[in-house]
Amino acid sequence: MTRRLKASERKATILAVAKVLFADKGYHGVSVDEIARRLGVSPAILYRHFPSKEALYEAVLNDIACRRESYVEAVVASEGGFEDVLRRITRIFIDSVAADPDYLRMEMQSALEGSEATRQFFENRWRPFTDLIEYHLAGHARNGGAVVDGRVASLLFQGMIREALYAKCILKSPRYRDMPVAELADRLIDLFLRAIGPAG
Amino acid sequence: MADFDLELDARGLNCPLPILRAKKSIQQLGAGQVLRIVATDPGSVKDFEAFCKQTGNELLASTQQGGEYRFDIRKPA
Repeated sequence: MTRRLKASERKATILAVAKVLFADKGYHGVSVDEIARRLGVSPAILYRHFPSKEALYEAVLNDIACRRESYVEAVVASEGGFEDVLRRITRIFIDSVAADPDYLRMEMQSALEGSEATRQFFENRWRPFTDLIEYHLAGHARNGGAVVDGRVASLLFQGMIREALYAKCILKSPRYRDMPVAELADRLIDLFLRAIGPAG
Repeated sequence: MADFDLELDARGLNCPLPILRAKKSIQQLGAGQVLRIVATDPGSVKDFEAFCKQTGNELLASTQQGGEYRFDIRKPA
């Protein structure tokens, strides 16, 4: 006899299955019926927990947001310099995303779907990096150092780290097979620091 | 008289910047002195709780008013 799931367990199972489907097919590519079928329940049970597909999608995103990486420990452990903090928080982000590549797939899908709310959600995940880089470069210029455009530099950083994650976790590119994702990221950060020059 | 010794304006900054700046500000304080931080990032509430737990600084107060978060942190003696 199958044990009846508690409401909280049922909800967690729905979120896990929905995440995989949204990651594979995007928001528009998945129907409530399909999610219910995959779960082996009727759509009515699904609607009992989530009133609409949109609410379910938001709940999946919220679930990811609640597991927001904590960068506090990294900052406490660092000596407080830009390079050290950047390397430490990048490692935390990479470990967390590499452990859950469905998250990356959802980010890719949402970029194609063009929903403003989800675009904002995923952009916020990069904020710790983009803000840190822009803030540091602005301070460097204020103190008479070289002027480097922080907005452009943060895009460079975001692009290279995201591409490394795609290459390793989604495409599983044979070209980088011999290089763990953390090492790849570290070497990219070396290049990034050289690119921004003395401002790094 | 203000009930803090140094104020850090971290408004508009997102994690990890408020924590990073607080860490640097606390280094300037003497033992027993208090740093007040004003932030706007909702995530800073959890972050400063974790920060104090991990660093041994004392979180005297954590309040919210009109979209701003205030934290008073005392450097241990």
